[in-house]
Amino acid sequence: MDDRLLISRVQAGDASAERELYDAHVERVYRLVYRLAGDADQAQDYTQETFIRAFGRLGEFRGEAALGTWICSIAVSVALNGLRRGKRLRTREVALDEAATAATPDRAAEPDLRDRLARAIDDLPKGYRVVFLMHDVEGYTHEEIGRTLGVQTGTSKAQLSRARARLRRVLADFARG
Amino acid sequence: MTGDDDEPLDPELRDAAHAYHEPPQVPREALWARIQMRRAAERGAGPADPPANRVAVRAPRFLVCGAGIAALLALGVGIGRLSVRVRPPLGADSAPVAAAPAPPPQASSPAAAAPARDNPAYRLATAEHLGQAEAFLTLFRASVREGRRERLAPAAARQLLATNRLLLDSPAAADPRLRFLLQDLELVLAEIAQLAPERRREDLKLITDGLERDGMLVRLRAAVPAGTGAAFRKGVL
Repeated sequence: MDDRLLISRVQAGDASAERELYDAHVERVYRLVYRLAGDADQAQDYTQETFIRAFGRLGEFRGEAALGTWICSIAVSVALNGLRRGKRLRTREVALDEAATAATPDRAAEPDLRDRLARAIDDLPKGYRVVFLMHDVEGYTHEEIGRTLGVQTGTSKAQLSRARARLRRVLADFARG
Repeated sequence: MTGDDDEPLDPELRDAAHAYHEPPQVPREALWARIQMRRAAERGAGPADPPANRVAVRAPRFLVCGAGIAALLALGVGIGRLSVRVRPPLGADSAPVAAAPAPPPQASSPAAAAPARDNPAYRLATAEHLGQAEAFLTLFRASVREGRRERLAPAAARQLLATNRLLLDSPAAADPRLRFLLQDLELVLAEIAQLAPERRREDLKLITDGLERDGMLVRLRAAVPAGTGAAFRKGVL
């Protein structure tokens, strides 16, 4: 559905349009903030706050990017601010335990690799980490990342490159093996 | 170097990366319910400010305290009504009996209201409110004299006005002197509460002149038990 039409329906007080907007974007928002936070409670808080802000600020949406990109930019801002305020990331051990229950026990899912990779991702500088998770894990394009984070596409590419290089370096023994 | 030109991670690392903070299924309905509740609550509380704006202006201490006073007053009203309802008609010292038949509460009747008025909750709420009002008006007058722009004054006045009206509707106002004081205070607070952002200096001067003319600050100080006003001024400053 056309973003403009949906927005005008929401602004006119159409409750079903609000739900349509939510349904169209909640999956992406939740996945993204969960990747950043690693905690279900925080992910729910950030998703809720994202939509509260999005509904409240729809009038500010100028259509320069897709509505989904605009909402994701709110989500990233909410999540990073929330994490910055001192909410702790979920401990890596818990993440690993949960992930292990859903994964197949092949070489790539080797607990030690996951453990070390998770630690390495946690240790990435914030900018590298966000771009890496958005691009290599969640599948965003550099154009989407650029618009979401308010940076140039080239910046997104450079951040990703540095993130990958750092991960390769830290996990060199696995890469060789 | 760019990400697109960069060699992708090898498949093992890439697969392992997908297990990093792997999201569970989205709790779609639960989240929607939370969002709806929050939006309904915000609509009920008036126009929602963006969170960024909410934290940009920190409420003065007396605004925060005012909410506490209102809550205390509401509790006091409840206690007062209960005590009026269950008190034996002839003022016996026996404990209240909930099942005893009693006339409906009449806050305007001095005989019925006096015991409620003397309730510690009312006394405390009244003293705190008058102390806060005195501190607020003192600061407001000083600000006007110094030519400062007090952006938060109307909001603070509205908060105090709400508490003032609760007190006027409570048995505490059965005391004629207190009722007159609260009524005069209401006029002053309402004037400040309605100040437009582009208020003219003459409007501010009219209000402060009225404060002086009516001796409002003197009357408030006389009505506030010693120490209460000072305590609140500390909180305000």
